[in-house]
Amino acid sequence: MLIELQNLIPEPIPQKIVEASKVWGTNLRFETNSNILVSAQSGMGKSTLLHIIYGLRKDYSGKLLIDENNIRKHSYQEWENLRKQSISMVFQDLRLFQHLTARQNLQLIPEVNASSPSIEEMTAQLGVENCLDQSVFTLSHGQRQRIAIIRALRKPFRLLLLDEPFSHLDEENQKYASRLIQEVIKANNAGLILSSLGSSPALSFDQQISL
Amino acid sequence: MIVKPSFNKSILQTCLQVTSPRKELIIASLGCLIGTTLLLLALQLYQDAQSYLKENEGPKNYFTINKKVEGVALVNLGKKEESFSKEELDNIRNLDGVKRIGGFTRNQFPLTLYIWPTGKIGLGAAAKTDLFFESIPDEFLDFIPEEWDWEENSSLIPIMVPKFYLDLWNFGLAPSRVEYPSLSNEAATGMPIEVFIGKNREATLDGRFVAFSKRINSVLVPESFLTWANKRFGQPDSGDFYFLWKEGAIDGPPHSREQILEMKNEPGFASWEVSPLNNPADRSPISSITRILDKEIQPSRIILEVVDSPSPALLQFIKDQGYELNREFPKQDLIKKVLIGLFIGVIGIGTLLSLLSIATFASSYRLVIAKSAEHARNLLLLGFSNQQISQVFFASFTRLFFVILILTLVVGLSGKSIIIERAREIGITINELVSPNTIFFLVLYAIVYLFINKRVIDRSIHDLL
Repeated sequence: MLIELQNLIPEPIPQKIVEASKVWGTNLRFETNSNILVSAQSGMGKSTLLHIIYGLRKDYSGKLLIDENNIRKHSYQEWENLRKQSISMVFQDLRLFQHLTARQNLQLIPEVNASSPSIEEMTAQLGVENCLDQSVFTLSHGQRQRIAIIRALRKPFRLLLLDEPFSHLDEENQKYASRLIQEVIKANNAGLILSSLGSSPALSFDQQISL
Repeated sequence: MIVKPSFNKSILQTCLQVTSPRKELIIASLGCLIGTTLLLLALQLYQDAQSYLKENEGPKNYFTINKKVEGVALVNLGKKEESFSKEELDNIRNLDGVKRIGGFTRNQFPLTLYIWPTGKIGLGAAAKTDLFFESIPDEFLDFIPEEWDWEENSSLIPIMVPKFYLDLWNFGLAPSRVEYPSLSNEAATGMPIEVFIGKNREATLDGRFVAFSKRINSVLVPESFLTWANKRFGQPDSGDFYFLWKEGAIDGPPHSREQILEMKNEPGFASWEVSPLNNPADRSPISSITRILDKEIQPSRIILEVVDSPSPALLQFIKDQGYELNREFPKQDLIKKVLIGLFIGVIGIGTLLSLLSIATFASSYRLVIAKSAEHARNLLLLGFSNQQISQVFFASFTRLFFVILILTLVVGLSGKSIIIERAREIGITINELVSPNTIFFLVLYAIVYLFINKRVIDRSIHDLL
């Protein structure tokens, strides 16, 4: 998926940040199938960028093009299809269903990417296989983060958006998660945009941007 | 990338299951139940009433017309003016809105009745009265009583009088005379009646009231009896005998109409004159007799059935012709109007309740969705479609709605059965429980109801993102 930013400025962001930013108010291209790292301190608009790409925020000026289409013109239906088949996202607040078990959370997606590893394989790789039948409510934040990553990887996608996905993972677990992510992205022939507070995860990136 | 649908309905349902706003849903359900039941019952009963009225006294509209009776015209020859000519009858028959007409036949002999309210001839006091009989074709009767048959040598003449004659007896005559008891329908039909025919009571027959008409304002007997009796006992009265005047002088004793008519071919017939017996000086041309003869068989009073209420054109015609109109028991119209008013009222209340229940359901389901808004929003973010999510809410609404519909049918039909039972007690038979029209309405109603709520749910989900 080719992402192009044309003079994109989110509305509530202070002018000072825009002037200092290498993303806001500039023209920028994220090439198809490339892995992008967006790093910045808190409050610079990392999540905002991912939310705009995922169609959750419309309060910006300028343009954002996905595969040369202005996303502002996407219909409700088009967004539905994009989220179902083309873009998968792990939110900072994970958005898991706490009243369901981990397994139910992993099963509750509209479509499964058949080429992605099974629930058992992925949970085993990330060391959460024993949590599967526990209610998400009882899991630690780190465990929830891994479940959310697996859920996102189970969906079909051509672009994966990860919003600070490793904030509660130790280095060892970050490594496992990075490996799994890399593997699935490759299998899907997809791109990645990952936001981080500063530390660089153990993933190879084609482009690193600090906001 | 190979994709397979994973979406597991039961997990989706579990995910969206939250405590529903019980109070609001119960109120909405009750409103829907009562509203729908009222609508259903009102519609069904309206149709029942319509078909009952149609089958019985119903929307048929009857009235009688006769020519105006002038005081002087009652004497002798003037009588002839009362009857309708063939052309006049044809004119009336062809009027717009007239379905059919029938003539009244009258007795042509003196008639005296002794009615024995005690139930036995010779016991107690009889009500004695000079009376008349009339008959009309059977199809104009509001109903044909079982004993409405008369053949020569039958021992009993069935008589039908208006219901209000009985009321007059019970509320007028009986309270003022100790010898007359009040009469129920059954007692009245059990009273023996002696029918004396002829000036000197040449014949005595037995009669009995067999029914009380709510439509025809007359004393009715079967047509077959009256035809027979008129032939047998009908006698020319003074109006049928005339002095014959030839060239200014009375020619012999009075002649009957038939005798005069037999002389039709004699020379100078057209110039002859006639005068009535009680006023020999009042001469009129002979043609007045021959004219009467042609018309004599025509009725002087006719009954009309019109399609609906008499049209203004018909009323104008009657006025122009100088006829007198006598509406037979227009009470039917009043009943119809009251019924329609009542049903409109009930349908109005039912509609109002249904609309309110739709609104309550709509806000209840907005509340249900608001309560699980967070989950629904997350599902949308995962890529579930609006339809997939709203389907879960709509399915739960549909289940509830169908339970209400079934309850409506149960309550409505029980109500209907009670009404049928009550109606049977007062002698009204209602045939069917539910008509196809009502079923059709119910299906349409359900579709509209479901459609509106589906839209509300869809919109509420749509607005989440």
